[in-house]
Amino acid sequence: MGKLKPQPTVSEETAAEISAIFSHDRPWVVVVWDDPINLMTYVTYVFMTVFGFSKEKATELMLQVHNEGKSIVAKGAREEMERYVQRLHEYGLWATLAREDQI
Amino acid sequence: MTPTEGFLRHGSDTYIANFAETEREVLVNLVQQIIEILAERHDHANEDPLAAMVGITTHDSPPDDEVLLRLLPNAYQDGVDAAEFRRYTESTLRDKKRAHAMSIRMLLLSATDGDVVLDFDNAQAWLGGLNDVRLALGVRLNVDQNSHDDLELLAPDDPMRAVYAVYTWLGWLQETLVVALMDEASS
Repeated sequence: MGKLKPQPTVSEETAAEISAIFSHDRPWVVVVWDDPINLMTYVTYVFMTVFGFSKEKATELMLQVHNEGKSIVAKGAREEMERYVQRLHEYGLWATLAREDQI
Repeated sequence: MTPTEGFLRHGSDTYIANFAETEREVLVNLVQQIIEILAERHDHANEDPLAAMVGITTHDSPPDDEVLLRLLPNAYQDGVDAAEFRRYTESTLRDKKRAHAMSIRMLLLSATDGDVVLDFDNAQAWLGGLNDVRLALGVRLNVDQNSHDDLELLAPDDPMRAVYAVYTWLGWLQETLVVALMDEASS
């Protein structure tokens, strides 16, 4: 009798981990942090310009930054989120990116 | 010359402000300082010319200077990721910010009768460039710790009082440009 082939056991958590490794369109987010210098209207305008948000949505996110100290403004693939952070830095906003589950 | 009334939109894609001579001098001086402080981060030319050509910098640690750190912030809270990102992107960000400041300087120096006329792209450069000056002054004024009320109460002979006056003027000027652009964005 030959040896038994190793059988990988795939629990739900393992499956989620594996799909996260291969998934390029989920787990990264862009966080914009409150800062006392940037004007509220300016932050709203930058959100509209960089992300194409409506004025209402951009204002809502700006107020979240202002009142809660930060806001998640985008979610998606890491490279795309990095490009957003770079553009936000060009406008002088204080933005970082992180894995969704580490925020 | 009367003090500027800020930017107003003309037609669909033009933003115009008229500046007094002294205002132009102040602004040119400020953006010149942004250009100079950004140049402090320039790579030493022959460390790795090939890397420099493709925009990879030798810097991967954050700037020590507070103003530079605010202009070129970390993209990750994690130090290792931040360093990696900085290595591949900082020189591009620096070039962009330098271009914004240069656009402001050039248009102010070439303004006929103090008229600065911006198209959409120039307006974006001005927004970013004016904001960089505000960030630099705001960091130096410790806007973080000092509330605006405290700054309003600076003694008349405190040199920071004049800096704060410029800072608030820039905020007002930037706001006029944002409002002019927003009119268009929402129409």
